[in-house]
Amino acid sequence: MTTALSVREASKIFGGQVALDHVSIDVAPGEVRALVGQNGCGKSTLIKILAGFHEPEPGTEVTVDGQELSFSDPASSEAIGLRFVHQDLGLVGNLDVVDNLAIGQGYITGITKTIRWKQERAAAHEALMALGYDINVRMPVGGLAMSERTAVAIARAMSTRGAPSKMLILDEPTANLPGPEAERLYALVRRVADSGVAVLFVSHHFDEVFEMADSVTVLRDGKHVITRPVEGLTEDELIEHVVGRKLDEYDKEGHVRAHGDVVLELKDLSGAAVQGLDLTIHAGEVVGVAGITGSGREEVAALVFGGHGHGGEVVLGGDVLPQARPDISIERGMALVPAERHANASLMAQSLRENITIVDPGRHMSLGILRRRPEKADVTVWLERLDVRPSQSEFTMAQLSGGNQQKVVIARWLRQEPKVLVLDEPTQGVDVGAKADIHRMVDEAAAQGAGVLVLSTDHEELVRVCDRVIILRRGKAVDELSGPRLTNDNITAATIGRDSSEPAA
Amino acid sequence: MSEVQAAPRRRINLGFDRFSGLYVWAALIVLFALWIPDLFLQVSTLKQVLSFQAIATIVALGLIIPVAAGAFDLTIGGVVSVSVCFTAWALVNHHGVVVAVVGSILLGIAVGLLNSLVVVKFKVDSFIGTLGMSSILIAVAAMISSQSQIVLSTEGYGPFLDFARGEFLGLPYTVYYAAVIALFMWWILEYTPGGRYLYAVGGNPVAARLSGVRIGRVTMIAFVTSGAVAAFAGIALTATIGTATSIVGEGYLLPAFSAVFLGATQIRPGRVNVLGTLIAIFLLATGVSGLQLAGAPSYVTDLFNGLALIIAVSLAVRTARRRS
Repeated sequence: MTTALSVREASKIFGGQVALDHVSIDVAPGEVRALVGQNGCGKSTLIKILAGFHEPEPGTEVTVDGQELSFSDPASSEAIGLRFVHQDLGLVGNLDVVDNLAIGQGYITGITKTIRWKQERAAAHEALMALGYDINVRMPVGGLAMSERTAVAIARAMSTRGAPSKMLILDEPTANLPGPEAERLYALVRRVADSGVAVLFVSHHFDEVFEMADSVTVLRDGKHVITRPVEGLTEDELIEHVVGRKLDEYDKEGHVRAHGDVVLELKDLSGAAVQGLDLTIHAGEVVGVAGITGSGREEVAALVFGGHGHGGEVVLGGDVLPQARPDISIERGMALVPAERHANASLMAQSLRENITIVDPGRHMSLGILRRRPEKADVTVWLERLDVRPSQSEFTMAQLSGGNQQKVVIARWLRQEPKVLVLDEPTQGVDVGAKADIHRMVDEAAAQGAGVLVLSTDHEELVRVCDRVIILRRGKAVDELSGPRLTNDNITAATIGRDSSEPAA
Repeated sequence: MSEVQAAPRRRINLGFDRFSGLYVWAALIVLFALWIPDLFLQVSTLKQVLSFQAIATIVALGLIIPVAAGAFDLTIGGVVSVSVCFTAWALVNHHGVVVAVVGSILLGIAVGLLNSLVVVKFKVDSFIGTLGMSSILIAVAAMISSQSQIVLSTEGYGPFLDFARGEFLGLPYTVYYAAVIALFMWWILEYTPGGRYLYAVGGNPVAARLSGVRIGRVTMIAFVTSGAVAAFAGIALTATIGTATSIVGEGYLLPAFSAVFLGATQIRPGRVNVLGTLIAIFLLATGVSGLQLAGAPSYVTDLFNGLALIIAVSLAVRTARRRS
């Protein structure tokens, strides 16, 4: 049997840390292979060796269709027929499809170096038709559907002029795609494979693995665990290979602690990737939402709080919230600590005092004048309560470390004594000490009767702070973990599992 | 903890970061006092600087508000022109002082509302949106004045002209108008929630919105304020010079921006503010009138303003970078 890709004894050590440990894999022409494993398992390292970004340890050998790859030389990767599509696709949104395909490889030109647009357009159209996509090639790429953009990126990779394409390598190809678009892409990948090109794709999405791949390779801690055909493999077996141990048969009942009155209700909440989320939060309850990138998790906070318009209803303390009005959400007692505090929450050049009181600057106003002294005293209490260092109300936000900035943002909201506190990635880029403090503040807020919604990719964090965790996959709530079922492994397994609604392959 | 807290507030900062303008101003005064003592060290020089700058100061004070909210308002020059032409037109056509004054202010407010419609609703970048609008205003001013100069004679329009020319303690009324507006703007920006909202929108509109600030409304109020203030400056200018032409306001646009940006390097570095703007205006005016008294040609005004702005802001950027 011929092999398209043959990797022998691939190893890579980063500063004493073994990232990849004697991994050998073979992929046949026309085969679609999934490469799966947890973060840090060595998938990316392997891909980067193939792409010529990393130089592997001596003893590593890679051949493509019999030709040897010379390492850390992207040109060699390309010359022997390796083609890459990265997760961000690398397209220029405001240029049309023709331009995006021509970027990097040059336009077809005449003698006078004038671009032959007609020929260029025909070539672009043909390349996309070959993948099953009939797209208007004069559309700016930014205006295309997500799966169409992926198709353009794949077409660009495949149509590289020069050496023939032997192998297509994709990084999380359907991570950001809603269901139907993901299916279009499965068909596309199938077409590529049918033309005799081998496909290797990195994935966290198990439905992608079962729908698209012929075979799967699992890596764990830099080591090769297993390579086998997808046929006959069950989801549970695959999860066990990825996680490395047998999952406890979990209690399907679970249990929910009794809490106070309902403070927040989401009824058929929809928007962007989220497709009909129902959720009820009681006073004093901490509810988590977990889901991989593209599951809709990253949209939930904005939809609930009114950052974006939404479908369905958000009911806060009995009243339906209006569309896209954060000010009214706040007035009615909701608070949001958004993800990416630099972009979404910080007034970098302004004082901690101004950052904290921006929600209701008029609190210390009397006789038409904002009284700075009581305002400072008020703010200082909060800075000390959250152990912000330095706890100086007149320092600017830019003078603090990331963890302390996040505490200031949290102080802004705790000071409002919210009925509902929404936290989106509350400890992203925060050091361990600050993280523990923030978790303690979440406990306290709940103890004082706030309903808390935590959206996080940090599964340990969810286990630490939440009473129950909702699992989102492709925009839908597919599971809820609580009580003894609420473990790190269970969350991980549930987020990458297949949609339970889809029939087993 | 508490002793540490008090320290940075109480220390008097002699550094150049916050008060460099005051030092430069003092240096300029000393320089001219030594160079041309007979001409420069006169009460009339002080009077002249104050009254010459009163109207430019009013325009710049209005401009602070949208700039604090992160929006450019390039229509202020056009609003001054329209206001001047409308005021003069209303007076010579015997519509009375009330119509002239109230109508001008309403025109300024209308321009502010149109600006915010373009910037907030149509989401046009404020620089481009107000640039387009300013061109429209030049046309409007020309239409009102029928493209010719309107002259208001002292005999016919004495009471109106006194609105600006009247004097108190040897200074024209316009100086007092500027002082009152400066106090008002200072109060708004430093001591009201509105000021916090303006700076928050200017600092990070996304964060401001997610903190409950209605950024569209704040931007609208900012444009309306700068429009109304520029219109008021136009009325005062009409009374000061007693003539109206459709391009008279254009000369106020760049100095106002210079003063606001130069002012942002003073008192509260990195943030446009009233005191900084006032320092900037009088620093520039002192330099210019000193040079003119020393016999420099009239184009020195523009040369000096331009150089001062570029040098001051470059230095401020360097200090800010070194600090971070």
